[in-house]
Amino acid sequence: MAAASKYQNRIELLQGTLDMLVLQALQRQPMHGYAIAQVIRNRSSEVLTVETGSLYPALHRLERQKWVKSEWKLTESKQRAKYYQLTALDKKQLIADHQRWLQLVRAIGAVMEPEVQP
Amino acid sequence: MIFGRWERAKESLSEELESHLKMAIAERVGRGEDPEEARAAALREIGNLPLIEDVTRDHWGWLWLENLLRDTRYAFRQLRRAPAFTATALLTLAFGIGANLAVFQLLYSVILADLPVAHPEELVGVRAARTPFDQAWLVSTPAYERLRASTPEAPLLARTNSAQEGLQLPNGALGKPSVEMVSDNFFDVLGVVPSAGRFFSREEAAQGQSEWPAVLRYEFARETFGSAQEAVGQHFLLNGRAFVVIGVAGRGFLGVVTGYAPDIWMPLALQSTGGFDRAFDSLGPGHDVNLGKPWYNQPTIFWLTLMARVPAERRVAVAAKWDQVFRPDRELMTEATADPALKAALLRSTLDLTPANHGWGGIRNSFSFPLTLLMALSASIFLVGCLNLANLQLARLSARAHDLGVRMALGASAGRLIRQVVLEDALLVLAGCASAFVVGRLASKILVVWASSHNSLLKVDLRPSFAIFALGIALMLLALLSFSILPAVIFMRTGVAQTAGLRSKVSGIAQTASQRLRSNALLATQVSLSLLLSTMSGCFTATLVHWETVDVGMDREHVLSVLLDMHQHRYLGDHISSLPALYRRMQERLQALPGVRSAAVEMCGSMHCGWNTAVYVHGRSDLTNGQVHGQEDHVGPDFFSTMGIPILRGRDFSFSDTETTQHVAIISRSYARQLFGDADPIGEWVGYQPAPNDHSFLIVGEVADARVNGPELDAPAMFYRSLEQEPYPASNVPVRAVGDPAQLADSVRQALHEVDPTLPINEIVPFATELNGELGTKRLLARLAGFYASLTLLLVAIGFYGVMSSRTSRRKSEFGIRLALGATRRNIQMLIIRQTARILLGGIIPGAVLSIFAVHTASHFLYGSVSANSVAVLGASFVLVSAGCIAAFIPARRAALADPLETLRSE
Repeated sequence: MAAASKYQNRIELLQGTLDMLVLQALQRQPMHGYAIAQVIRNRSSEVLTVETGSLYPALHRLERQKWVKSEWKLTESKQRAKYYQLTALDKKQLIADHQRWLQLVRAIGAVMEPEVQP
Repeated sequence: MIFGRWERAKESLSEELESHLKMAIAERVGRGEDPEEARAAALREIGNLPLIEDVTRDHWGWLWLENLLRDTRYAFRQLRRAPAFTATALLTLAFGIGANLAVFQLLYSVILADLPVAHPEELVGVRAARTPFDQAWLVSTPAYERLRASTPEAPLLARTNSAQEGLQLPNGALGKPSVEMVSDNFFDVLGVVPSAGRFFSREEAAQGQSEWPAVLRYEFARETFGSAQEAVGQHFLLNGRAFVVIGVAGRGFLGVVTGYAPDIWMPLALQSTGGFDRAFDSLGPGHDVNLGKPWYNQPTIFWLTLMARVPAERRVAVAAKWDQVFRPDRELMTEATADPALKAALLRSTLDLTPANHGWGGIRNSFSFPLTLLMALSASIFLVGCLNLANLQLARLSARAHDLGVRMALGASAGRLIRQVVLEDALLVLAGCASAFVVGRLASKILVVWASSHNSLLKVDLRPSFAIFALGIALMLLALLSFSILPAVIFMRTGVAQTAGLRSKVSGIAQTASQRLRSNALLATQVSLSLLLSTMSGCFTATLVHWETVDVGMDREHVLSVLLDMHQHRYLGDHISSLPALYRRMQERLQALPGVRSAAVEMCGSMHCGWNTAVYVHGRSDLTNGQVHGQEDHVGPDFFSTMGIPILRGRDFSFSDTETTQHVAIISRSYARQLFGDADPIGEWVGYQPAPNDHSFLIVGEVADARVNGPELDAPAMFYRSLEQEPYPASNVPVRAVGDPAQLADSVRQALHEVDPTLPINEIVPFATELNGELGTKRLLARLAGFYASLTLLLVAIGFYGVMSSRTSRRKSEFGIRLALGATRRNIQMLIIRQTARILLGGIIPGAVLSIFAVHTASHFLYGSVSANSVAVLGASFVLVSAGCIAAFIPARRAALADPLETLRSE
């Protein structure tokens, strides 16, 4: 039952945030799709989960917009995988996304917990 | 290319997801899960892989392509499911467009295209004066040289007609290329660019070369020597004279005479070597004319056609200048006639320049009307085809209405549906057009063969041009628009919306009123056009049959023509006096053959070959030019009985008429009437000139008229002289057979070679074939119109069948109810037949009007009166009505067999 409860604890990603999370995940180093999903899950303490069916469309969309680029490489376990990495264009995008996100968090916080405000 | 990239990207995506899956499994296994379970869990977690792929591909922005591919596959499936429609459409497009392309190709090359040279609009033909006997626009070499020298600013070229000469290649191969003699500046004046080598220089084109320069036509060079480059520098013999190829003309240049492209061009000076004969006219016997000597310094031998490059603004001045320079020649020409009125008229005439941007002469004039007519007929067959397809398409769409309605109700957009339908047709049109181009290329070659006389294939440039492609694409779009897009749009607007909610069967009855009217109108239009084509076909065929069977005054069925080329050294010059003995041996040998009735020799070897001549009567000074002019041929004894020309009075030539006895002549009935009225010509004295030279020959016979210039031309006034008395190389040995002359060909050839093993026989051909070979344009019209008529008839039948069957299948339940209510099967059948009859009538009446108008327009090309030809409308109507009724009868029968029980059950 552990799996089920874990699943219930997960939060569906808000629309538009996936791109930002993916870009953020790629900031330090190039990664393949599976690793990106893992990174997001681990960093969110397994709260945020990225559906494969959303991740790959997002990656291909980002690639088409030239925000990430990709190449096939071998993983540590000698398996072929497609690695994505950021492009120059992308840094700006990330900053903009981050700004928007902080605004959103503040706004939602203000709505949900008005009594905390002085 | 693009599909390859697309496929690679798809594979890459699959691999990427695959690697994702593997890593997920590996991680679970690493955590100690059972591999099988780990795989199942990972798959569960990932979800629907193909769906993910689909969604991901969406982000590539290529989805439209996939949809297109899917629609294409769907379209192919639909087409395969309707093989009859697909076949009809392909057939219609292939022949409808193909025929148009083929005829237009011919029309373009023969009528519309300019000469393939720079600024063709500057080219002019020079009409100096009509020659005394042939009425041709020819001038002498001295006149040409003077004209050319007088205006350096207006370059002037001269050329002769082309003739076939004996070619021998260094490897021993023999040939009979067509050769034209031209002035040294011929190519420069025209502005032809060589595809290899160079053209003539003034020096090497002058008299007395040991090896003569020659320029080849591109295709001829390629066929003979492999390529234009390889041809340059090659040596060959022409009638025994040595030649070297100095250049090859540009690829598209076929000479200036439309339809008759020379294979080889050589300098005019070759005439003086004596080895080459060219058509000529002269002042006639008795004047200072010496045909045996070189012609270049004889102002009395007219044999050159002149063309020049003169810009439009300078034409008047140049023509005036040349007219003045030509004055002495015009005065010289008047000596040919004794008629003062004619002399005066000749002196009054002036030199004219006529535009020659299409070239000068050839088949252009005689073909412009037939080809224009054929183009109109081709356009109508295309129209019939499109209407037919549009109608079938509407019927087909109605049959699919239910299917389309349901799909629309399920949310398919009208645009997508139209796209699918149009895509289906676009595929058809593309395939149809590809076949049409192939059909067109083949057909244009066949048309040229039909239009040619039997032994000289017309040469026209049949390479596809921009104009052909433009027409092809335009017709293709027109076909697509008329038989696909418009019906689909009309249908979507009217049909589907109602059908979607209703039960299709009921709506099928309700909606037909306007649709029926539309498809009836389409069918009726087809019937009209088909009637037009059938009528024209009937008229043209009747005309061709008439000319193929007309009484030519000769026995066309039993004569075999042996065409010779005796214009060779061993028969000419000193040897010429031995010819009568040779002729006699040939004749005796041939007449000894079983199956041969008689044989003879003749100077003329083909139609239109007789000399134009003038005959004056001793003691008569009152004869006009029209009376004395006629045509002359030299023949041996038994010629008239062999050809089946009756001797009306007097006697035939005989072997006792020799060079040393009194020279005799035989004249034809019309010449006798011209000169003597109804009086007996036998015993009259005649000569080539007025007194005192008017009693050279004694007329010993009068023969009936014969159409020696071809079946369509009136029998000329003929003056015959004896080859025994005036030996000359024979070009024809007519042999009269007891039965089919073609059977005799081999034994005749063998017999002649027994007499003279080296006798140069060009061809052995039945006389009927030779006669019918003159009917090129008639044959072209009759055959093509016949083909069109059968094709439209087929299309109309298919149209009736298709429309009526779709209509009856839609009204099946209605018929069932009618039958249940007491209608007989006959009533139902009559319902369909009545409808068919109404459509036929609606088409035939305007069609008949159209046909009679067309017959009237083409009347000068048809044999018989307009009213006689209009009777063909009746015949064509009958054929059409029969075809329409038979085609409609099949669905009518099927409708009548509808089972009322079945209908009621399904209601």
